[in-house]
Amino acid sequence: MLRLRCAVALARLTRSISRLFGRGGTALPGLVALRIDPGAIEKLVAGLREGVVVVTGTNGKTTTAKMIREMFTASGRKVLANRTGSNLARGVAAELAGAWRRGRIAADLAVFEIDEAAVRHLGPRLRPRVIVVTNLARDQLDRYGELVTTAGHVAAAVAASGTAVLSADDPMVAKLAADHNGPVAWFGAVPEIRAAMPDDRALHGVTASTPLGRVDALLTGVVAAGDGAAITVVVDGREVSVTLQVPGVYNGYNAAAALLAVARLGLDPVAAGSALAAMAPAFGRGQVVDYRGRRVKVVLVKNPSGLNQAIRLLCDDPVARQVLIAINDSIADGRDVSWLWDASVESLAQTPHSFGAGGVRAADMALRFKYAGVEAWSEADGRIALDRLVDAAAPGDTVYLVPTYTAMLGFLELLLPGRSRDEVWS
Amino acid sequence: MTAPLVLAHLYPRRMNIYGDIGNLLALRRRLEWRNLPVRVVAIDEGDRFEFEEADIVVAGGGEDASQLAIAADLVERGPAIHRAVAAGVAFLTVCGTYQLFGRRFLTADGAEIPGIGVFGAETRGGGTRMIGNVVVSTPWGDLVGFENHSGRTRLDPTQQSLGKVRRGKGNDGESGEEGAITGNCLGTYLHGSVLPKNPALADDLIRRALARRTGAPAALTPLDDTIERAAAAAAAERP
Repeated sequence: MLRLRCAVALARLTRSISRLFGRGGTALPGLVALRIDPGAIEKLVAGLREGVVVVTGTNGKTTTAKMIREMFTASGRKVLANRTGSNLARGVAAELAGAWRRGRIAADLAVFEIDEAAVRHLGPRLRPRVIVVTNLARDQLDRYGELVTTAGHVAAAVAASGTAVLSADDPMVAKLAADHNGPVAWFGAVPEIRAAMPDDRALHGVTASTPLGRVDALLTGVVAAGDGAAITVVVDGREVSVTLQVPGVYNGYNAAAALLAVARLGLDPVAAGSALAAMAPAFGRGQVVDYRGRRVKVVLVKNPSGLNQAIRLLCDDPVARQVLIAINDSIADGRDVSWLWDASVESLAQTPHSFGAGGVRAADMALRFKYAGVEAWSEADGRIALDRLVDAAAPGDTVYLVPTYTAMLGFLELLLPGRSRDEVWS
Repeated sequence: MTAPLVLAHLYPRRMNIYGDIGNLLALRRRLEWRNLPVRVVAIDEGDRFEFEEADIVVAGGGEDASQLAIAADLVERGPAIHRAVAAGVAFLTVCGTYQLFGRRFLTADGAEIPGIGVFGAETRGGGTRMIGNVVVSTPWGDLVGFENHSGRTRLDPTQQSLGKVRRGKGNDGESGEEGAITGNCLGTYLHGSVLPKNPALADDLIRRALARRTGAPAALTPLDDTIERAAAAAAAERP
């Protein structure tokens, strides 16, 4: 206990000092805590009265975790969470240490978003009461390796968890049930919606059919509503209807997963679901930022299935929009940009929109547009590209900015100058 | 020319992991832009196909499990593919299929996947993965692509390579060689996809295919490749 107290105290001190120097990161305080007490994470989570929820998967982690968090917060609980970008052990340790008050953790439960590559080792240390696996798709192969490797990481975490909340519509996720001895709860969608959910399973040679007798949270309706989507999910036979501020069929799936997770942790899904209407999008997940009088809708993409989801969103918008797809190739984005060829960019040729290619690899995106039969301009400089995007739109219009992760960080500086990452993400 | 050029995509379901579909798209578009008729055929395991009826065959990379899954089917097609290569059908094999167009692939855990031996080459799995952008000096000029493989491919002394690695690892990270070429059959580790960024290579495959059809050297209408060159130049500068 003394060791833990030292670890927590020094982590907090490190955090205060780095804040003093204007740095908000969570890595260093977390590293300090773990160096002093390598068992800090296990000890700290043991103090959470209602335990830990882990959210993992290729796409939708941040939004799903945020939905779960907001529903618990609305129920009057104090919820701890890690922020995007700190989904490794040190980030989780820093968040836990930061919640320490007078000898105990000042929170009822924690909702952690964990990277698929980190979840094998970090997941079991958190002893999750519930683990949610959103989906598993090909993602940054130069970084994560093959999809079967990722599925193996996730399977190890699922085996160490209580209830597994799994997608019935994603064959790679559904397979995880076989390795789990605990309870499994399934979320999914009616066939018409499932058909509209773009994925790359055809590319894996996996046939999409999950022979399930029962889906515990079934997405039965998704209709575009303003910047978001009006959805209906039937959870354990009870209908939850809510208008989300986040758009698209994929967020309907995220909501179904989140509602099922909170239901398995004892919340009433109908009451809890109403909290989702007030949830603002996480940064870059369909968030709208005002920039020079235009509404810039930011849709982060990280992999072909994520880009396909964004493309689907653009195809569903009947109004002619300006769109910038910005591709970076830093380590966090994946060095390899060949995944652009796996997304159905061709579908954009049928839309009324106008397109630009941006990011460090603007030329690659421009090339992808060319072979897809989509006319596009190309500009690697972030500021020039952003200005070109909004200048082409009338004041008050909505434009789409579709960046990879580090491209998004660059645009964040331009869209919200002077705002720290922590501030935007909290 | 009236009958459309036949582009065959070998194992599109299992061997298409790093945007290799872009190679098919590049050939198709560059034919369409020249008003040359084209027909695309997909060949998966068990599908009947006479390779000599194809003009260009493209095949990509896959995860280890996918490679194992298609290996037996490929061996069965081996004699037919050898006949097609001898008859001058153009092939572009990338990564996983390039390895299996060699004699064999010895995996890191000691298993042996038999190849079809179009290339005088053997691949051994294991060690650190070779990942990054690659620039290769070749008769088509500098080729630019992205490699991601743990297999190390050794060419026989008599086997011609595609070119010399200027940046990156290439076949085995030691020999300085990248890829292999036998007749009109090409093998490479370059993803990217490789053909969209390297239009000279794409057009040469088309030229070889047309020459086989007509029995005479083929001239192609030049295309504006400004965007292609910009993408290749950007990739060549990146780690």
